[in-house]
Amino acid sequence: MNGRLSSILRGVAVYGLPPAIAFAVVIGLWEAYVAWRDVSILVVPAPSDVWERFFDDPGYFWEQGWWTLYEATLGLIAGSAVAITLAVIMAHSRPVERGLLPLAIAMKVTPLVAIAPVLIIIFGFGTTPKIFLAALLCFFPMLVNALIGFRDVDSGALEFMRSLRASPWSVFWKLRVPSSLPYLFSALRITYPLALVGAVIAEWFTGNRGLGFVVYSAAQNLRTPELFSAIAVLAVIGVVINIALSLLERRVLFWHESVRSTR
Amino acid sequence: MANETQHVRLRGLSHVFTDGREPLHVLDDVSMDVPHGQFTSIIGPSGCGKSTLLRIVGGLLAPSAGSVRIDGAPPRDAQRRHDIGIVFQEPALLPWRTVAGNVRLPLEIDGARRRGTEAESLLNLVGLSEFRDYYPHQLSGGMAQRVAIARALAVDPTLLLMDEPFGALDEITRTAMRYELLRIWASQAKAAARKTVLFVTHSITEAIVMSDRIIVINGRPGRVVADTAVELPRPRTQEIERSAPFLDYADHLRGLLDGAAA
Repeated sequence: MNGRLSSILRGVAVYGLPPAIAFAVVIGLWEAYVAWRDVSILVVPAPSDVWERFFDDPGYFWEQGWWTLYEATLGLIAGSAVAITLAVIMAHSRPVERGLLPLAIAMKVTPLVAIAPVLIIIFGFGTTPKIFLAALLCFFPMLVNALIGFRDVDSGALEFMRSLRASPWSVFWKLRVPSSLPYLFSALRITYPLALVGAVIAEWFTGNRGLGFVVYSAAQNLRTPELFSAIAVLAVIGVVINIALSLLERRVLFWHESVRSTR
Repeated sequence: MANETQHVRLRGLSHVFTDGREPLHVLDDVSMDVPHGQFTSIIGPSGCGKSTLLRIVGGLLAPSAGSVRIDGAPPRDAQRRHDIGIVFQEPALLPWRTVAGNVRLPLEIDGARRRGTEAESLLNLVGLSEFRDYYPHQLSGGMAQRVAIARALAVDPTLLLMDEPFGALDEITRTAMRYELLRIWASQAKAAARKTVLFVTHSITEAIVMSDRIIVINGRPGRVVADTAVELPRPRTQEIERSAPFLDYADHLRGLLDGAAA
């Protein structure tokens, strides 16, 4: 117990301290620069101004953050569900793959945030356009990773199952799905932040709630401390998502070398 | 009919791989009969098509020409009966399953009509009972290959196909595994119940020590250049590798493999 506790403390000291110091230095330089050059608060606020504004009403920022996270998460789930379903079909049928992949790539090379105004015309000002845009941004990385994951199975294990005439169904569940998990996790590390981008952008245009709305209206009114507070909350949400994904990955992919090599 | 006693019957097998830039002719007119319970090695240099031959027998690859009969029927019938066990050079275990979970995999595959052997007793047989809850990444190469053997035996197949199963192991482990496999193969009480083994190797020692019969394949495309019975007493131990008859067989095989090399 004591040993475990001290090893956790050592881990915090070794891995937590350097970034904390780096972060403190950046904030300190920022604060010093603003004071030294007497930068107007309308242009760039000092960290202390942001801090003051945030703690003036932290509940407000967390509530708006919660909306953004909610929309991004629903979008992530919807986009991933469609992408994974299509990947399953494409992994089993070359003609379907040949038919759909060019469309998916066309979607990928289009800057999808440009269609946010269109989505608002179609879906109105509720949560739907935000979820939709988040889902669109998540779609392609998840599709490609899932497709590669379902295909990238150990050839020996596959031949072994084929030698027992395993059905595509059991090959899928016993071999393809577990083999794809490392790919799905790398996709999530890309798509969850993208979903946040999608939700924030859609919120800019609808102006009723969410951190995207806060950022937009604060910028319009030059309330820069509020603007930076909203950005800080977005950063915190991003970091928390990343940590949560890492912890989940460690539990689910304990057998995979990507996880084993970091132990 | 006389050929009902043959477990595996190959007639005029040829294979050409056409997926490369140039067609690759790997096997030419290979015929053989393998009776039930025989331990047969197929030996030849790399690239002679011996692995291709094994995959054709296992029904994993359709030959360009010729026929394969297992108990008088095409390989897919034996596959359906879960009557084929395959071990490859790499253990090809599922890394997210424990040792016991890997051994149980064949029994979870749908359509298993034949009664399987419990993971517990298979792990006993290959000497890994204490490791049942380990994951593949925690095992040495030799242990992982023993799990692969146990997995192949799980459906209790009558035909065991082994494609250089010890080829990726170090020399010391490799030697131990030979005698281990012989012990497992001979563990059936009655000789009549023994599994038919087709064992692909490029080790002359391995072929002599293990087999009742050695088929030499050589050339490109590979052809059967010799078919030799190994009349050494069983059970065989490592002493046999220094006996005079062993050395005679080794000389004989070496001559066949050198002489016919293309």
